Amino acid sequence: MRPGDLLVLLLAAVLVSYLYLAFWGPGTAGEYAVIHANGSEWQKVSLHEEHEWQVPGPLGTSTLEVRDGRIRFSDSPCQNKACIHSGWLSHGGEAAACLPNRISVQVIGRDRRYDSISF
Amino acid sequence: MKMLHRHIAFACLALLLALLTACSREEPVHHIQLLTFGTIVDVTLYGVEADRARQVFAAVEEDFKNMHAAWHAWKPGPLARVNELLATGEAFSAPPSVLPLIVRSQELARRSGGLFNPAIGRLLALWGFQSDERPPGPPPAPDAIAALVAARPSMDDLIVDGVTVRSTNPAVRLDFGAMAKGYGVDLVIDHLRQMGIQNAIVNAGGNLRAIGRRGDRPWRIGIRNPRGPGIIASVEVQDDESVITSGDYERYFEYEGVRYHHILDPRTGYPTQGVAAVTVIHDNATEADVASTALLIAGVERWHETARALGIKQVMLITSDGTIHMSPAMAERIRFETEQPPHVIRSDPL
Amino acid sequence: MILQTTREDHLIAWLTALAITIHLAESALPSPLPGVKPGLANIITIAVLVRFGWRVAAWVGVLRVLVGSLVLGTFLSPTFFLSFGGAVASIAILGLASLVPGRPFGPLGYSVLSALAHMAAQFGVAYYFFIPHAALLHLLPVLMTAAVIFGIVSGTIVAAMFRSSEKRC
Repeated sequence: MRPGDLLVLLLAAVLVSYLYLAFWGPGTAGEYAVIHANGSEWQKVSLHEEHEWQVPGPLGTSTLEVRDGRIRFSDSPCQNKACIHSGWLSHGGEAAACLPNRISVQVIGRDRRYDSISF
Repeated sequence: MKMLHRHIAFACLALLLALLTACSREEPVHHIQLLTFGTIVDVTLYGVEADRARQVFAAVEEDFKNMHAAWHAWKPGPLARVNELLATGEAFSAPPSVLPLIVRSQELARRSGGLFNPAIGRLLALWGFQSDERPPGPPPAPDAIAALVAARPSMDDLIVDGVTVRSTNPAVRLDFGAMAKGYGVDLVIDHLRQMGIQNAIVNAGGNLRAIGRRGDRPWRIGIRNPRGPGIIASVEVQDDESVITSGDYERYFEYEGVRYHHILDPRTGYPTQGVAAVTVIHDNATEADVASTALLIAGVERWHETARALGIKQVMLITSDGTIHMSPAMAERIRFETEQPPHVIRSDPL
Repeated sequence: MILQTTREDHLIAWLTALAITIHLAESALPSPLPGVKPGLANIITIAVLVRFGWRVAAWVGVLRVLVGSLVLGTFLSPTFFLSFGGAVASIAILGLASLVPGRPFGPLGYSVLSALAHMAAQFGVAYYFFIPHAALLHLLPVLMTAAVIFGIVSGTIVAAMFRSSEKRC
């Protein structure tokens, strides 16, 4: 083996471990969503762990459900339920909100396929 | 000479490795989501420092709060005051925050052939769309609707003379819901430019205008699927373009299994039927916002002539059954993101 | 008219034929990303690089992909662009590496460098031109690990080839 070979192997090892950290490391499991409540960030949630998040707002508690890499409002104390009708969100940039209860959620995609969404 | 080659090669190799590690560097994109202006406001900036972005976001939030207060159609404030004074039939001086909207919407209402009609505030109130939360219940009585339509409130009923305004029709009550978001986005974009921001997207409730680029590529905009989850199509925009969609899914109520949405046809007084969504791409957001609503009301039969009258070139109209009508200028740049390509009808050029 | 061929041309033709054989055998292997292959045909490219220099290696590398795709019927298909991208990237990095002063690399180093470039380019082509989906990025670490392993394997094979041929001499 030549000295350069050793260097190459070393660099390859660094590169590969870096890739694992970057794409498999904590907090990088695909996409996540940011939930805002009352004007400030309430929590960042992973879309890869099934969970029901209870988010407090001025009208009461809204429920956000995470399943199969998607998130949606599954329950909210508002009357028109527009947030629930928004359905599942999965693409980076997609968002839904319960305006009366001042809660919003936005999906942050790894590749952020869309910079903004017209709806 | 040979040595020089080798040095260059070595430099290239080093550069390649540097590039590999540089891929992960944070990009100078800053993003904020605000619940203001009665909707979700989304602002994205490219190419500014974090501190500067925070200052800019604070200024933008302030702008939207002020506009929300000034143009609110049913809470006390400048527009509510204007509506009270219009009902008297007397001349009054309009507040400077509202006057430009009146002037601009008069012109646009005329060009849309009255399909865009911000004078139908009473009709919207009757339907319960002038409230944060419509209490559950049936749609309004047909004769109540017919009476408000018969009163023919129109922007032409307003006589504007300098800063004084007078209404010749007591049925006029202003609601700028079909224009305010676009107008607000335009004002905020102007403000951003004054602050030296060159690359940004301002998105108020799905109505957006993008300036500049996202670094080395254009901005990528997704267009929501009106009949199902996710995104139906995408488009790349740059330099200065607005992408604005009006849809029957944005605000609605259901009663006995029938869905009543918030876009009312001023000629009938009822929610429009047949079109699920209209997306318009145009330079300024105010006109795009007005056009998206007017074309949705115009429907499959008349959207083309209405777009011409409004000077809009890029239109995508999605009917309730999922058929897509597009102007050629729109068809050239739109990219469908659905698994099955939808049924598309290309119109004559606009 | 008789086409004048040089000794080098014959050499290139023979070696390319050998590389194509490996390329074809490899195309039958399963892969998590269709078209993304370990690049065992690299053994030939590396051996050629070490023995005959970069010029011949570049010819063999490019011809291998062109002819291989014609044989497989994938010419100008996505698979072709994946292979072609990989080949060009690996030849490019080999060219740069062989110009580094002091010639510090042996078959193993060349092979690992080439395998990494090959995989990275294929991945890049797949991601940017065919399936720009975030889920794909998840595969990148695994694919690059595979590339390093295959690079070490090919490099060791090449080194062994030279050792045994040296012994015989």
